[in-house]
Amino acid sequence: MNVPGRSFDQSCEPSLTTPNRGFPGEFRLGFVMLAPILAVTILAAVFPPDGKERAHWVQFIGRFHPFVVHFPIALFLLVPILEIAGRSIRFTYLRLSVPFVLSLATVGASIASILGWSLARSGGYSGTLMIQHMWGGVVLSIVCCACWMLRPRLQVSVAYATVLVLGVGLVAWTGYRGGQLSLGPNHLTEFMPNGLRALLGVEDSHNVGSADPNTFYGARIQPIFSARCINCHGADKHKGNLRLDSYRALMRGGKDGPVIQTGNIQESDLLRRIKLPSNHDDFMPKGKQPLAADEVKTIELWIAAGASDTLAVNAINNAPSGSAVPAEVKFEKIDPLLVARLRSAIGPVVSQLQNQFPGILDYDSRNSAELRLNASILGIKFGDRDLETFAPVAEHIIVADFSRTSITDHSAAAIAAMKQLRVLRLIDTRLTDATLLQFETLNQLESLNAYGTAITPAVLPTIARLPKLSRFYAGQTGILPGKSVPESLVGKLVF
Amino acid sequence: MSNSNACSRTLTALGIKSESHTEVELAFLQARTRRHFLRSVGGGLGTLFLGTLASKLVPSAKAAGGETAALDFSRDARTPLSPLPPQFPAKARRVIYLHMAGAPSQLELFEYKPELKRFDGQDCPASFLAGKRFAFISGVPKLLGSQYPFHQTGQSGQWISDRLPHIEKCVDDICFIKSMRTDQFNHAPAQLLVQTGNPRLGYASFGSWVVYGLGTENHNLPGFIVLLSGGKTPDGGKQLWSSGFLPSVYQGVQCRSHGEPVPYLDNPADVSRSLRRSMLDTIDEINDQTYAAFGNPETVTRIAQYELAFRMQMDATDAMDIRKETDSVHAQYGSKPGEASFANNCLVARRLAERGVRFIQLYHWGWDSHGADAKEALNLGFNDRCREVDQPTAALLSDLKSRGLLEDTLVVWGGEFGRTPMRENRGGQQMKYVGRDHNPGAFTIWLAGGGVRPGMSHGETDDMGYEIVKDPVEIRDLHATMLYLLGFDHRKLNYRFQGLEQKLTSVKPARVVPDILA
Repeated sequence: MNVPGRSFDQSCEPSLTTPNRGFPGEFRLGFVMLAPILAVTILAAVFPPDGKERAHWVQFIGRFHPFVVHFPIALFLLVPILEIAGRSIRFTYLRLSVPFVLSLATVGASIASILGWSLARSGGYSGTLMIQHMWGGVVLSIVCCACWMLRPRLQVSVAYATVLVLGVGLVAWTGYRGGQLSLGPNHLTEFMPNGLRALLGVEDSHNVGSADPNTFYGARIQPIFSARCINCHGADKHKGNLRLDSYRALMRGGKDGPVIQTGNIQESDLLRRIKLPSNHDDFMPKGKQPLAADEVKTIELWIAAGASDTLAVNAINNAPSGSAVPAEVKFEKIDPLLVARLRSAIGPVVSQLQNQFPGILDYDSRNSAELRLNASILGIKFGDRDLETFAPVAEHIIVADFSRTSITDHSAAAIAAMKQLRVLRLIDTRLTDATLLQFETLNQLESLNAYGTAITPAVLPTIARLPKLSRFYAGQTGILPGKSVPESLVGKLVF
Repeated sequence: MSNSNACSRTLTALGIKSESHTEVELAFLQARTRRHFLRSVGGGLGTLFLGTLASKLVPSAKAAGGETAALDFSRDARTPLSPLPPQFPAKARRVIYLHMAGAPSQLELFEYKPELKRFDGQDCPASFLAGKRFAFISGVPKLLGSQYPFHQTGQSGQWISDRLPHIEKCVDDICFIKSMRTDQFNHAPAQLLVQTGNPRLGYASFGSWVVYGLGTENHNLPGFIVLLSGGKTPDGGKQLWSSGFLPSVYQGVQCRSHGEPVPYLDNPADVSRSLRRSMLDTIDEINDQTYAAFGNPETVTRIAQYELAFRMQMDATDAMDIRKETDSVHAQYGSKPGEASFANNCLVARRLAERGVRFIQLYHWGWDSHGADAKEALNLGFNDRCREVDQPTAALLSDLKSRGLLEDTLVVWGGEFGRTPMRENRGGQQMKYVGRDHNPGAFTIWLAGGGVRPGMSHGETDDMGYEIVKDPVEIRDLHATMLYLLGFDHRKLNYRFQGLEQKLTSVKPARVVPDILA
């Protein structure tokens, strides 16, 4: 390769006093720089990473890739800074350093590429992301070298500037791919604040999932893999040639064959690995927190039941309860502006009612505009007339307790108007069937308490039609335990 | 000028007429030194600066909301107990805490340890004793298997001994935490830790924090009521329901279990309610003047307490009067009106819960089963304690459940630490009665209702029931979890005192235990 050497002297600024003796042995240096680039290009083309793990010593060397890779990046990004700053008369001397910095960057980039290849080739990496990142690095080494070669020809060269800009773009792109490899494909948007997410139109990646949620696999198994495994065994990075991002890929297995033997929990390698102690060589997920006991149990039961992707979501009776227990509780955040906006419509009425009836009406929490009404505190002093005054906020009340108050069936309509009610308590009131028969509108009701009232089994068909009801307290009423009830109320009556 | 103004104000306050005080004014002015001036100038400028700073910072901090904003617990001084919404939607609206003072033995009640039974009577291995401190055990004690047989029960198949046949029937509503841990091995500090989050005196109790944070809906009753049984006040004393550094209006009100619940609540003969009212109005007026003069918030507390007592004349007697319950209810609880018993207290607890009392604390004394005498022997006195609490506790749970109150009432049952798997050998001697020493390393408490996952068991101890091997829960974790159920981030329920945002869970990091949430 013919690298022009003398032009360097002409390009340097005469204002500098140091006599410039040029770069020693530039031809030789050119070859020194080209040899590793050539080597890594050949290696990457002929021996691409294929998801198989190889010798440990190669991996040992390869692990230095992230450590080394940032040096050439910094050096290369320094070049445009030097060039731009060097345009100013005061900093012209900066441009003198450019060839030196570029040659360092080239050597660094090629070393980093070789280390990267070693890691990928021996560490069991493969996948599109991997390949893109690798070639990004290799091309970048070439670009570095090209810059170095193009630079000395002319003071300002379109070709040089173009290659330099291209190089900067390539650094960003390759770096982004590298980030995706180590932190996951959506690492930049994963923890993006919701506001910004909405602004940029980025979808919440946590919701992505293609498996049928009505199957046990889709509802229970795939979410575990998606949360804990697919960073390394996903579409973009399949270590050990194993992918866990779809049922087909899972059943295909990895480099050592299938990881799941249907119905056989002893022979299923996946299960064996996730159950190992975390310091064992074969333990998965390697270097991460072990799967929760419930998650392991769920996978085990699913494999034992045949590991089918069509098995219904509720087919396994003794599976650990639906939603896996989160490791930490998340506390809701209060958005005062949002709360103020939600409350603006009813705020004045609520304040006025709070003054009129101290202590019995309040917001459900500091974060909501939903109301709780506890008239039981006032006992018999609270009657139908009082309940009428709550009509303006009726649709905001989610919990109402009229226990031991003197309200009568005249209040039936007022209660039925509280359409958002989730909990309603009528303990020891004079209400009768006539009131409860009007509750058809309360389709959010989860808990209805008529303990100690004179209601009879005649209300049961109406109550049975409430879609969300899960508890109906009917102790000390005309409804007696042991009598037959409509099918949808079975197990919901409490005596 | 300002000095003479201040002077005349002072004199007016002292009741000296302004015409006759020219000389006094002069004397006052002469008494003012340069130091007074400098101090007031310095302080004044500082105050001005702080004032502008605060006006700039405080609203913006409040507007920012979310993580950094402190929650506002300020209320009208006249209604310090008025209800406030929780930080976020809460599963539990009130708490009934059944504290078994003296620390019941988990190994005789909830912890089934067949291995320990196998080693019964053998010398305790040295590894159990190395580096450990005991209240009484000395030398090499013998291992002691459970004194009572265990069996599995309920749909949830939990292990329980034969000592609690009634509670056993509620086991599917109960969530056991078998991996509780404390760092105190003496009763008083351990009880203080459980009830105030700190083993030393002077901290606010759990109930006080809850009433401070949520207030109480029923303004005719205290928000935090304490009932005692078992014959003695717990070792931690009245500090256990103290409000510590919180305003004293939030402290627990101890009601008597025998006779009148609150003494002197009834008007004396010939004192009518209206006479009492006008008397209180006059006292309030005087207290108002005192408050205006000194600005001590405790004066407002006093006014509020007088007013509460006046309202309680109507409601407290009714709430505490268990004679109004039917015979079948008394049969269920095993309660007998007029007696001082845990059963009566449980029934009162349900009546108070119905009436919107926020925090109901029961203490039952006598669980300290060392085996030093018959009353505290595992084979004698312990049985009596079990009998005293078993039926009423179960009755309370099932009564709350059938009335729908268990949905939003959090019930807690437990002591202040556990007991050793070794038999106590006070002074290195085999004792006449069977007992166990204190074990802060592992104990069991249980919770029910109020958003707790029912029919489960959290955490595990080793085969001897000596140390925790899985999911340890510190007292502060329990507190954080309970506050979470009540709708609070435990870090946000705080009160500024001694330069620190004081909180129930104190300064060590506490964790909400998600596994036990429904």
